[in-house]
Amino acid sequence: MADNGADVADDYRQALEDLTMNSRIEIATLTNIARENANHGLAITEVLQNHIKKVPPPRTLPALYVLDSVVKNVPTPYALYFGPKLYSIFMNAYTKVDNTTRRKMEEMLRTWKEPVPGSISTKPVFPPQFVQPIENALIAARNAAYQANQSSFRRPPQVAPARDTPTPPVGRPASHQAGPHGQQPFPGPPNGQQQTDPALAQQPYPMRPHNGPSTIAPRVAPQPYSGVTDMPHYQQPVSRENYGAPQPGISIDKLKDDIQQLIIAERTEFARNPLDASRQTRLKALLDLQAIIQRHDMPQDQLMLVKDRVTELAVNMRAPGAVAITAAPLMSSTYTPPPPPVVSQQPTPVPPVAIARPPSVTTGAAAVPPPAAGAGGFSIDALFGQGALAALLSAAPKPATPQQVPSASATPQLMPQPLPQALPASLGAALAAMRSPPPQRLATPPAPAPAPVAAPVTTPAPAPAPAAPTAALASNPSALLAMLRQSGLIQPTTSATATPPTTHASLPVIGGAQATAAPRYQPPLETPLSYQFRAAHLKQFRPSAMVRLEDDLGLPCTHCGRRFKTNEDGRRKKTAHMDWHFRVHQRIAEYEKRGQHRSFFVDELDWIKSLEAIDVDYVAPPAGGNNASNNDSGDSPRGASAQAGGKRGGGQQQLQQLLQYIAVPEDSSRVNTVCPICQERFEMKWLDEAQEWVWMDAVKIGERVFHASCHREATKDRDREDAQAAAAAAAAAASQVQQAYQRGVPEGVLGKRKAEDDFQSLRGKLKMEGY
Amino acid sequence: MSIPGLGQIAPQPATSNKRIILLKPLWEYRFSVPRNSPGVGVRLLTGTADRDGTELALSRTYTFQRTRSKISTYQGCTLEISGGPVDDYVKDYADPSDSPACQFVNLHIAFQELREAAAARQSGRTAAQGPRVMVCGPRGSGKTTLARTLVALAARVGGQPLMANVDPDEGLLALPGTVSAAVYGTMMDIEEPAGGFGIGSTPSSGPNAVPVKLPIVYYFGRERVEDDVPHWKDVVSKLASSARAKLKEDEAVRAAGMFLDTPPVDLENGGVDILAHAASEFAGENLSIQLTVLLWVEANSLSLANFILVLGSDQLVSELQRHFAGQKTSLGEPIMVVPLDKSDGVVQRDEQFMRFTREATIKEYFFGDSKRTLSPSTQSVSFDDVAIFKAPDGMHDLGLIAVGSKANTQAESEAYEGQPVLEPAEISAEMSHWTLAIMNASVNDPPETIRQAPVIGFIAIADVDEDRRRLKVLSPVSGRLGNKPLVWGRWPEPYINLLG
Repeated sequence: MADNGADVADDYRQALEDLTMNSRIEIATLTNIARENANHGLAITEVLQNHIKKVPPPRTLPALYVLDSVVKNVPTPYALYFGPKLYSIFMNAYTKVDNTTRRKMEEMLRTWKEPVPGSISTKPVFPPQFVQPIENALIAARNAAYQANQSSFRRPPQVAPARDTPTPPVGRPASHQAGPHGQQPFPGPPNGQQQTDPALAQQPYPMRPHNGPSTIAPRVAPQPYSGVTDMPHYQQPVSRENYGAPQPGISIDKLKDDIQQLIIAERTEFARNPLDASRQTRLKALLDLQAIIQRHDMPQDQLMLVKDRVTELAVNMRAPGAVAITAAPLMSSTYTPPPPPVVSQQPTPVPPVAIARPPSVTTGAAAVPPPAAGAGGFSIDALFGQGALAALLSAAPKPATPQQVPSASATPQLMPQPLPQALPASLGAALAAMRSPPPQRLATPPAPAPAPVAAPVTTPAPAPAPAAPTAALASNPSALLAMLRQSGLIQPTTSATATPPTTHASLPVIGGAQATAAPRYQPPLETPLSYQFRAAHLKQFRPSAMVRLEDDLGLPCTHCGRRFKTNEDGRRKKTAHMDWHFRVHQRIAEYEKRGQHRSFFVDELDWIKSLEAIDVDYVAPPAGGNNASNNDSGDSPRGASAQAGGKRGGGQQQLQQLLQYIAVPEDSSRVNTVCPICQERFEMKWLDEAQEWVWMDAVKIGERVFHASCHREATKDRDREDAQAAAAAAAAAASQVQQAYQRGVPEGVLGKRKAEDDFQSLRGKLKMEGY
Repeated sequence: MSIPGLGQIAPQPATSNKRIILLKPLWEYRFSVPRNSPGVGVRLLTGTADRDGTELALSRTYTFQRTRSKISTYQGCTLEISGGPVDDYVKDYADPSDSPACQFVNLHIAFQELREAAAARQSGRTAAQGPRVMVCGPRGSGKTTLARTLVALAARVGGQPLMANVDPDEGLLALPGTVSAAVYGTMMDIEEPAGGFGIGSTPSSGPNAVPVKLPIVYYFGRERVEDDVPHWKDVVSKLASSARAKLKEDEAVRAAGMFLDTPPVDLENGGVDILAHAASEFAGENLSIQLTVLLWVEANSLSLANFILVLGSDQLVSELQRHFAGQKTSLGEPIMVVPLDKSDGVVQRDEQFMRFTREATIKEYFFGDSKRTLSPSTQSVSFDDVAIFKAPDGMHDLGLIAVGSKANTQAESEAYEGQPVLEPAEISAEMSHWTLAIMNASVNDPPETIRQAPVIGFIAIADVDEDRRRLKVLSPVSGRLGNKPLVWGRWPEPYINLLG
């Protein structure tokens, strides 16, 4: 690459500019360019970064995919270059795109925590210290959002603490940052610089991540329902989505019953094992919940959420499933920030050390409605993990509620004051994670990698991580080991506050009983091949896998059930697909009158060359198939296989000129009626075999129609087939029929075109004989 | 108030036989539609459901005829069942991980990761291959269902896997007695008895509501591999070379990989040898294929009555493991043997049912099904205008000798020494109602060439008029047969007069 960096950068920018949709080919090309110009990596990195920053939202995703592809395929140097900028790139993009794209981005983020598929290296795409801040920010934002939701419940208690806290100022800057952009919902830390510095960990600054989320919360809330704050909002459409089909009204009595049942079950458990703190807290939480439900009149929406939670708990209790388990690893890896808040339950400032202790208990309680005044709201909050997310996503930042303050207080050392909401938030996150399968998956990858991550990232909020595992431990000693290892890794860096006390706290509600599955679950996607095929692994039920096969694939076609993603590419495919349905339905009606017959199968070469017809009409090869069968094409090379083809060589090749035609396009105004090569009109005739009016000797390439013969002539130089060497002659034959089949996906065709090969001259000659 | 004479008509019981069935995640609705039943309708009301990996569309009634199958669900669903008669029941699992669907999905996920890895590498310099998987196991252990599910799941996520079948007992997109392969990149036909693997999914001159699949077909003409092992090996080699070429040519297919369905393994009759041959053929030399061998082991979870079967399969596992131990593909991938449990839902298909299925398949090849009526052409041709070949008598026995002996090659060569593999058949009334394969070759080709040529179609002999030396044949496509050789196999035997 003699070009200097600027040239390369310029070219690359232009190439990026052309990337308008999610096309694998284009992205692969861009990746290759990046690979080839790795020596100008920095320039390219910058170009790509700027591009992502300024492209309009619909084109952001492809651009991000380029980044993804480049980083995965050419990790050196690009992963290094992008790493430090990752946070700003990602969050910047995240704020401007729509929800579907966000989901995609989250998926992508998930893959960054795993090793590149198929590579030998077990290192994740990006080191955790780059991914973790993003995740923290996303989770924090999620929490914040649903705190906002619940603001009505919480408002009075919170205002006060907010003012008291010393941290608010810190929080402000963050929000300011976001301010100008207007959209940015998560003013989280601009990448973990401060965080990485252990010394700073003690100071308010490092807490920023917390502040970020909580500060946002207030701002978020008002937007969607400006002014309506008093109502419990569950209106966000997004949240609905998560729930799938909204259930019809819920009978509160039924709910109460369920809770009662749970409580009874829990009591028995507790009686059996009175020393188990997690059970105790859980029981307490349930009782609180019951009280709240009985006391308050809750809107259907919320009841529904509560009910979901309760059912889930009930299910979990009955059958400790993988679901619950996942929560533990998840918490530890993703959900670091909010731990100290646990403390917040206690209204009085406590020295850090002291704080550490209380959480263990409080968290548990917090999981479900804490008894405190505002508690009702919080606990429900916790239950409603998902709504929060919705709120966050739909909302724009605008400070409304005083909650920011509490978040600031998250710093245990400075402000031991209770931040009630922070706790619920964390729980909410956990719960949300548990409920929706995708997060689960997300949770798994981090498990193996926590060691490096933990140190820098977790500093601010180390507590929760340990907590989760411990909860799991309670019930399952074997899980303990793994968990300990994790938590051990995490804790060293953390300040005193981070200490073990928290351990029992947070997860008991969910994790306690089910912990057993945890160890099994841990080896997730990146497990070595042999592991995945082991019987125990194969037999394990993973709800997330099901989602991957259904919901993750987008909505199904109403005619046939094939799913299409909701992104640009998916929409395009779906349009093509629906068109195809339409055409076929039309033609079926037509053909019913005419009579049809089974076609002959194709010859080997045709078969090898034919591309799967996806959402285009399958073009039966009557010209090729039928004629060939009726006439002497017995000599036609059968042997893509080397054996036969090789022996039969080129000489005796007397090929039947195979007819090529296409049906006369219905809307001829949209198609050229003259061949672009020879400028002559296509000859229209009635073809008996096809029972159709056709253009003879025509072939449609992409959107344009050519004379097949002209096209052959014109393209023979770059003829693409490279069948086996021995079958050169065979290949010549094939070139004549290959166009009979087309793949609907244009990239397919493009992708196949290969450079000229060694037999080109030979083939050209043979072809001339053919005519 | 009723008007006399008009009030007599009983209300149509049309809707009376509708039932609603609720399935929880990973439960299955299993049904068996008797052959004389007009069919059972299944409509998905809520949730998601699929048949062998292919998803059902919401609120559309799917009609199933002459099939034994199941509807399963990953996330729970309600189904409306109508019509009948049908034998059906809901298979529930207390623990979702007991469901075979769970294994299938996990397998799929594992393969999908391999595919994604392959696709990722493909964008680089090296052309990577997706997983190539051979499914094998004893008779009736659910091999084809497993393969179909995995293919459907792969296609569902946008892959275009190659499906190959070397079990002549059941044709894949072809009549029985053949080996074939096809790429599956589109929806599979849920309503078809074979769930997308049947002849109904092959191209016809008209449009098809479900995207057609294009097979490459080779003719074996016998029911069991053991009946003529050398011939089977020949056609498998041919099929394998086509499959290799396809994988080489088509990047999408290459990344998606291949599934290979195999004949039932009968250990005492050289079953492993047969599998090994299939595996090595498809592994090839120049384009080596990593074969992940999937083993379908008899359920150990059922009862002790299965003990012998379990043993047999365990033996198969170890045999295969021994056979493939240390073998690697040229890409350096080891060949892995994965044991699986047999699904308890597998129905043993009795010979009668299989026979009926074959009959129906042949009928469908020529005449289409209830959704699409095809009009084959009936022709009268002179004895002199057709060239019909058959394997010489006595070959059958030689084939049997070859089976089981490890020194197959020797037996083979001796068996074929000096004997043509095909000889012109005497046209006689005996031939009536047989189905003959039309080979894509010339009558002047040497017998070996003809025998290994791909099949372009089938004709049925409706009538033989020995006096006038004329044949009445049913051909899917009108037009002369030209000098295409026809091959008369020994199976499936004729049972029906298609023009009857």
